[in-house]
Amino acid sequence: MRETPNFNGWRATVLHREDGNTDRLMRQLRLLGLDPRLQWAPLPASDVPDLVIVDADQGWDDLLPWQTEQAACPVVAMLGSEAPGRIAWAIQQGAGAIIAKPVAASAVYPALVMAASIHQERKTNAERLRHLEERVRLRPLVHAAVEKLMRAHRVDEERAYAILRDHAMRRRLPMEQIAAFIVGGAEPLPEAG
Amino acid sequence: MMDALKIGILYSTTGPYGSMGRDARDGAEFALAEFAADGVTAVEPVFFDPHADLAAYLEGARQLLRAGCRHIIGTITSAARKEVIPLVEKHDALLWYMCPYEGFEANENVVYVGGCPNQHLIPLFEHLIPRLGARPYLVGANYVWGWEMNRLARELVNNAGGEVLGERYLPLEETAVDRIVADIEQRRPSFILNNLIGPSSYAFLAAIRQLADRDPAFLPENCPVVSCDLMECELADIVPDAAVGQLCAASYFDTLSTPENLGFKRRVASRFGPERRVSSVFASAYTAARLCAEAITAAGSDDPVAVRGELYQTVRPSLLGPIAIDRDTNHAALPFHLGQINGNNSFDVIASRPPLAADPYLTGRARQAKLLAKPRLRVVS
Repeated sequence: MRETPNFNGWRATVLHREDGNTDRLMRQLRLLGLDPRLQWAPLPASDVPDLVIVDADQGWDDLLPWQTEQAACPVVAMLGSEAPGRIAWAIQQGAGAIIAKPVAASAVYPALVMAASIHQERKTNAERLRHLEERVRLRPLVHAAVEKLMRAHRVDEERAYAILRDHAMRRRLPMEQIAAFIVGGAEPLPEAG
Repeated sequence: MMDALKIGILYSTTGPYGSMGRDARDGAEFALAEFAADGVTAVEPVFFDPHADLAAYLEGARQLLRAGCRHIIGTITSAARKEVIPLVEKHDALLWYMCPYEGFEANENVVYVGGCPNQHLIPLFEHLIPRLGARPYLVGANYVWGWEMNRLARELVNNAGGEVLGERYLPLEETAVDRIVADIEQRRPSFILNNLIGPSSYAFLAAIRQLADRDPAFLPENCPVVSCDLMECELADIVPDAAVGQLCAASYFDTLSTPENLGFKRRVASRFGPERRVSSVFASAYTAARLCAEAITAAGSDDPVAVRGELYQTVRPSLLGPIAIDRDTNHAALPFHLGQINGNNSFDVIASRPPLAADPYLTGRARQAKLLAKPRLRVVS
């Protein structure tokens, strides 16, 4: 890890009833530079902080404003129970790390680092997946453009595909977009050379 | 009449850290003896020696707690500290830790009188990089201290636009340093950060001296070896004169000329003899033990909550200068001194900075400590 993880200035919401655990947790969050708020009421979707720490022992389904694994920010679960149902609930909320109860001060920073890293990784993967899904969705369009080029230039499929790809690269546009232009006749066919 | 106040002292006097452990034990015991001699509070130190066995630290802490100690001064390594903390927490006791360490910890049941990187490594690099350049070579012991110090060093060097020319590790107590030295000779760094420990470190310093004898580019004035954990009690274990001119950062050196230190050294000489050098672990253990006894007396109780409250609200004079414990981190603000090894197995202090508040997680946030300088994460070159 090259950069030292730093949470200075992060807004954190702790969804937990106030007790000795939250006292230790809030103290540790403050010394890590976070601005923590303690509440035992649903988090409004309009006010998502930089980090959520949620009581997975007592938490209920509408406590967090997102559905299964679609967390809008890094989530840490606080857990005393070992019941599989509670662990599953924590996973459903998008928790990337667990702080076991009773809270040890030394458990807090590692959990934040891990939850933040997992949230970032999930976001990156979700974006990549969206991008790939879009491309798969537009595959028929690419195929249609390749067929049009095959007919026009009397080349085989492999050659037609190479023409399309080179043209997209020269224009610095996605292949799918170039394919749409070609199929729609919005621009002249690229040359075979 | 109150029963004697029992304070646990948990240091290993044998093994790779034996010389530090013996100095730490002597320093803590000396402080408590002096304090008891003042006659205000009867103090009884209770000793346990884990003999470098990591598992024995836990047993030692258990015995000290059972003996009625609510305060334990002890542990040198981070591994030993981490071993005893859960038990200290469970019994709501206080561990007084006084060695420089790699940071990333702030436990309510620990008072930290040793420095973390913003108090040693960062000011060290702020001093070195503008003078020598930002192309260091990093060596370390294969242990969290070496890994984490070198990780942070790499981050500081990158932030300064420099380049780490090499990073090598040795197992604890390994003294075969030839391959590392050969690599250093080839890469020609601007300085060498040494996070080796004990015999590895001594062998490395001796080998660099031999290299410098062949090639003056590696003399200390051109390419110094710098450490954050080398101390007076170790210098006699190094080949004579091999380490002269090399640098070390610490919050105390034997040669500091403050009135507190001069008086302290007279008292040490009358108890331990005029030849005794005071190392930074001796001084830090003394400071921790003294601070512990003073805070308990002022609080009127050895209850850790009362003692912490007392520590937070009072800046006390100490051997390390006026000492304040931060309420958020439980860490002491500490001065930074840069020492250069001289021919008398001691250090000449060549640069100093006033007490720096600890920033164990390197958040860089400005602390509201009035007398104290703010921590900075970046090295400005």
